[in-house]
Amino acid sequence: MATIVEAVNLRKTYMLGKVPVEALRGVNLKVEKGDFLAILGPSGSGKSTLLNLIGALDKPTDGIVLIDGVDISKLNDNQLADLRRRIGFVFQFFNLIPRLTARQNVELPMTIAGLSRDERTKRAEELLEIVGLRERMNHKPSELSGGEQQRVAIARALANNPAFLLMDEPTGNIDSKTANEIIGLVKKLNEEKNVTIILVTHDQRLAKEAARTVQMLDGLIVEEMVN
Amino acid sequence: MNVADVLSYAFSAIKLRKLRAALTTLGVVIGIAAIVALLSFSQGFQNTITAQLQKGFATNTLIVSPRGGIGGGAESSLLISDTNIIDSIDNVTASVAIMQKTCFVNISNTIITINVIGVDFEKYRSIYQSTFVPAKGQIPTNPQNDSIVIGARLHDPWQNGTIFADVNDTVEITWMRRSDGLFQNKTYTGKIIAVLNEIGGFNVGGPSDLGVYIPISQAQEFFETNECNMIIVLLKDDKEATIEGVSAAIKEAFSNQVSVTSATAVLDIISAIFSNVEFFLAGIAGISLLVAGVGIMNIMIVSLMERTREIGILKALGMKNRTVLIIFLSEAAIIGFMGAMIGIFSGWGLANVVARLGIFGGGRLQGANQTAMATQISITPVLTPTVLIGALAFGVIVSVVFGLYPAWRASKLKPVEALRYE
Repeated sequence: MATIVEAVNLRKTYMLGKVPVEALRGVNLKVEKGDFLAILGPSGSGKSTLLNLIGALDKPTDGIVLIDGVDISKLNDNQLADLRRRIGFVFQFFNLIPRLTARQNVELPMTIAGLSRDERTKRAEELLEIVGLRERMNHKPSELSGGEQQRVAIARALANNPAFLLMDEPTGNIDSKTANEIIGLVKKLNEEKNVTIILVTHDQRLAKEAARTVQMLDGLIVEEMVN
Repeated sequence: MNVADVLSYAFSAIKLRKLRAALTTLGVVIGIAAIVALLSFSQGFQNTITAQLQKGFATNTLIVSPRGGIGGGAESSLLISDTNIIDSIDNVTASVAIMQKTCFVNISNTIITINVIGVDFEKYRSIYQSTFVPAKGQIPTNPQNDSIVIGARLHDPWQNGTIFADVNDTVEITWMRRSDGLFQNKTYTGKIIAVLNEIGGFNVGGPSDLGVYIPISQAQEFFETNECNMIIVLLKDDKEATIEGVSAAIKEAFSNQVSVTSATAVLDIISAIFSNVEFFLAGIAGISLLVAGVGIMNIMIVSLMERTREIGILKALGMKNRTVLIIFLSEAAIIGFMGAMIGIFSGWGLANVVARLGIFGGGRLQGANQTAMATQISITPVLTPTVLIGALAFGVIVSVVFGLYPAWRASKLKPVEALRYE
């Protein structure tokens, strides 16, 4: 199977004031097409830092991140922006644009990519259909529940047919019943649409659905399991 | 991201904070309105004066005055008979001497201080065929010595039909002169034989609505002098070569002891003064626009902080730095554009209201013993395309320039940090 994401001896050091903090201390990871990987670990173990690096939102201090075979540390800001269009992000706090409707939020990545109005409207409606929110597409985020907002965020992440989905605690901010719906949706996307998924979670139920889990601690992957 | 999408995104951000956007725009509106009002008003003022001057001071005339210029301290003198010398110069059609003294004039038991002008009625009329024309009465070729011709404003000063002086009224003219250190009054009584048509505005040398005209022979006798204040010269045409040739010939004939002023030269001086005044006024108004610019910068920095997370999201979704910059600049440009458009309309309206109210309309003939002021001038503000486009461009440019720094900061935000921002 084709390797979509590869991290080689990945290190990231932050400056917290004047104190250097080693968030990642040499992480190696490979994700194949169609994979469903859950990254687990306590707070401060480096999960989010790892996610930011494979999402091309940040650059490593040392080591290599290859996305679709491209070394992100060699890319400039513009090339990184182009690369991010091929990655679907889902955040813990949804991060929808409050003044835009659900449909406009889903259209946004396509607008940024320069798709025509007709194309993006059609696709946004299809995606909202997939996540089961077609009838709510003209509502603003403030008029949607947490679970609905997260489904809009998932639809948005899928807008540009990304190489993979990156999810940062997708069920971390919603009630358990709604979380079940999200887990079901994520599973369906992976199984039926063959979407590659990498997610960070504390939610054991979500982690159990993943094909593979890695456990992180103090900036290192300490355990890797295949479910 | 295409232009329409960028603009619509920027516009949606502005719409979200309506009051704030309105107040920011108001700053631009005030600045642009001030510029447009001042410039269109002063342009209108200049047009009025130029038109009035061209009317009262035809381009094919020259004014010869004693050295020192019009109204300047004269060292040399010009005699009434000097018209003979001027008439003999090539390309001169006619010339008329003008003698003018400030007198107390008693009309209908009201004493006003006004210039009494001695001219040869016939020659004067031959030069000012369209303005030295009676509305009432007759201007004879050989007038009686006590004949007086008055301007329209002395006839009906309040422009409401209340007649102040009319044909056949008697007028007492008193001239105060100083001789051997003593002030002496001289008075004679004349009779109004004609009232001129309304001329409007003011002019140099030509007939005026506030003029009191007496025959030159009477002026010579009453003022006890043969010296005149100026000689108006009518040329064959208003070609530059004619104006320059005759000017030079006159100067030569009087050994450079006289000044020769052409209408064109006066107009040039006036327009030079006006462009300075305009520049100064626009400068002051421009400062208020700079203040508006600082307001835009301030509000955009606040907006940048509030929207840090949004910028992080946009970047995570693949938006380029350049596009973030353009979105923020578009917001500034939209504010500038709207402000400038509203400003142009309100400035234009303001100039018209001021013109309508006649705040700068000049004085009217006042009560007894008051100096009569210039006749009323009506000003129509003029909005030239240059001012219109300039104001629009200036409003947008100032807004964009002050938006540059916040926009640049927004574009440079790191996605990870922006997303983490609370």
